[in-house]
Amino acid sequence: MRLWESAWVIARRDFVAQVFSRFFILFLLAPVVLFGFMIFFSLSTDAQDRTASQPVVAVVSDSTTYNALSQTRSRLVGSMSEQSFPTLRYVDPGEDVRAQAQALLADETGNFSGVFSGTLDQPVLTGPVRSSDFVGRRMQLLIEESRRTAALEGARASPAPLRLERVVTTQASGSVANLRRALGQGAQALIFSITLMLATLALSTLVEEKSNKIIEVLAASVPLESIFLGKLIAMLGISLVGLALWGAMLATAVTLFYNLFSDWVSLPSVSPGVGWLAFVPLLLLYYTTNFMLLAALFLGIGAQATSIREIQTVSMPVVLMQLMILLLAMTVVNGQGGAMVWFAYLFPLSSPMAMIALASKSSLLWPHLLALAWQALWVVIMVRLSSRLFRRTVFKSSSSGSLFRLNFWKKPASG
Amino acid sequence: MSAALAIEAKGLFKSFDGKPAVRGVDIAVPEGSIYGVLGPNGAGKTTTLRMLLGIIEPDRGERTLLGNSRPLEMARVVGYLPEERGLYPAMKTREAIAFMGALRGLPLDIGRKRGEILLQQNGLGDYIDKPIKSLSKGMAQTIQLFGTIVHKPKLIVLDEPFSGLDAINQGRLEHMIRDEAAAGTTVIFSTHVIHHAERLCERIAIIAGGEVRFEGLVKEARERLRPQVCLKTRAADGKWRSALPRDARLEDDHWTFELPGTGIEPLLKALLDGGAGIEELSVERRGLHDAFVAIAGETAAREMEADEAMGDGG
Repeated sequence: MRLWESAWVIARRDFVAQVFSRFFILFLLAPVVLFGFMIFFSLSTDAQDRTASQPVVAVVSDSTTYNALSQTRSRLVGSMSEQSFPTLRYVDPGEDVRAQAQALLADETGNFSGVFSGTLDQPVLTGPVRSSDFVGRRMQLLIEESRRTAALEGARASPAPLRLERVVTTQASGSVANLRRALGQGAQALIFSITLMLATLALSTLVEEKSNKIIEVLAASVPLESIFLGKLIAMLGISLVGLALWGAMLATAVTLFYNLFSDWVSLPSVSPGVGWLAFVPLLLLYYTTNFMLLAALFLGIGAQATSIREIQTVSMPVVLMQLMILLLAMTVVNGQGGAMVWFAYLFPLSSPMAMIALASKSSLLWPHLLALAWQALWVVIMVRLSSRLFRRTVFKSSSSGSLFRLNFWKKPASG
Repeated sequence: MSAALAIEAKGLFKSFDGKPAVRGVDIAVPEGSIYGVLGPNGAGKTTTLRMLLGIIEPDRGERTLLGNSRPLEMARVVGYLPEERGLYPAMKTREAIAFMGALRGLPLDIGRKRGEILLQQNGLGDYIDKPIKSLSKGMAQTIQLFGTIVHKPKLIVLDEPFSGLDAINQGRLEHMIRDEAAAGTTVIFSTHVIHHAERLCERIAIIAGGEVRFEGLVKEARERLRPQVCLKTRAADGKWRSALPRDARLEDDHWTFELPGTGIEPLLKALLDGGAGIEELSVERRGLHDAFVAIAGETAAREMEADEAMGDGG
């Protein structure tokens, strides 16, 4: 198995050169820092957005009406959410309430979405009507509820407290389907994002050999397929080191978070279609085939480039291509069947991400064996195609036989 | 030819973008010999070597390397120093040698040991753990050469190995080539410097314009030209002058001309009988340079001289 032996020599060199490079720590930390920033900013901006986007209604009426509305709001917010109702702000009524309402709506510092005036029995809401009419509908609910409460208090009657009987189950089919869909999407996103990060590495990996002129020594010593395969294995190893580190950090963070906030937070209980025992190895295998397929393609494309500038030029189309592949694979998560879904399963570049989505939805295992064999075949074809293209365009060599002739696996002749 | 052949090529043809680079090259390199491929830059030497090694496939023709028509399958017993030298700059010297050996199937630990020995034997012991980027160009070239031979190949192919080396290192390289050949290794190298080939090779191929103009023993190439006669006489003129060929040239009191086909004896007799008064007479076999000019032509020879003056490969 000279191919694998030679590929191992190349892989070992590349792996050591990358992992022991001082820039590797940046490679490892960059996604962590990026992910941390994304979470921090999304949480902080989310909170700010929610506060900033909350509609405010000016209540221009007597304090009794305002208090009634305000108390009703507080009560309802307790069982719904703060965002479910507009914020109410009391404004002393002037002589001409209609004119005052127009002035309040025109005042940009007040930032009012509507103005309530009058009383609970004769309410007036001044303001624009948006398509959803959130402010109008919710203000009507608040007024009606306030009136109902006032009426009950007037009659000195209060309804008996409601006791809702709860029968607790572990699962409901609707929520399981949703959770599995989310799991499939998460797995696809994971595979996609890590492969995306390594795309530039795959594109530029042969530029080093070409610029250092060592490519001829390599090409004279080992089959070109070994060089390509070795580089793919090295990159896969590098990505797995990253995955292990990022996975460990994520697991630590989740465990820590859960331990700290277990009283308030509960993790959703979901099991993928094939079960966790099969899903995790399948995720790893599909990540591997996805990476090998795309990296072989990008390695082949990048091998044609003569400089980093050319690599940079080709990076954008490559990222767009990956996005298209992700969109194609996502049809499996969202779709119920049909030609597009089958195409996503069968098209080699989308097959790994499509199949991991299937693994999250369905309990069938045999399709995965077929898919993995199919994807492995395409890895071989991609490596062979890329190396032949490289030989033809870079070394300007003539054809060296059939695409499917794999006799480089043979042992070398003695002598 | 009775000896077993390390390399045999018949009718190798290669063109790039429709322009022929090598046109019907025939080469036969006996096992254990030192073989030179001579020619100016662009003659097709590198393309020929690449085809022989299987780095590129010929458009037409056949070649066998150590008896195998798929040269890459013999890579483990072949060492190759390309014209464009290349090493990983961050790699340490011993690791670089071991890595090149590992590419040819030599276990890394043995490669490291042999690399260390090679470095120490050649006065580079202080550089064992130095990265390639810290070495001079000549030193890096020497490291690559060690990497070419670390796995003890049966065949060593060197493309312009003397290019870029100073006189001392050129001498070391010649010594190393002789040592390898003495140990039974076949060495083939390309060069545009004739005197390297003349000093080292038993057999040569002269390539010009993508064609092999001569292939055979160095002696045979030289014997294609008649020996050169250099004559100094006391008499300035006389009957003896009729014994000299028409194209005899007088330079600094010395007549130089090719030895006539009749041989030395009739010439000597005519000079003595004609009263030339011989002061000096020498008959010298012609050098490879003259043979090259005669075989490849004046233009190719001038290109070779220009390449040599520039010190680049080809």
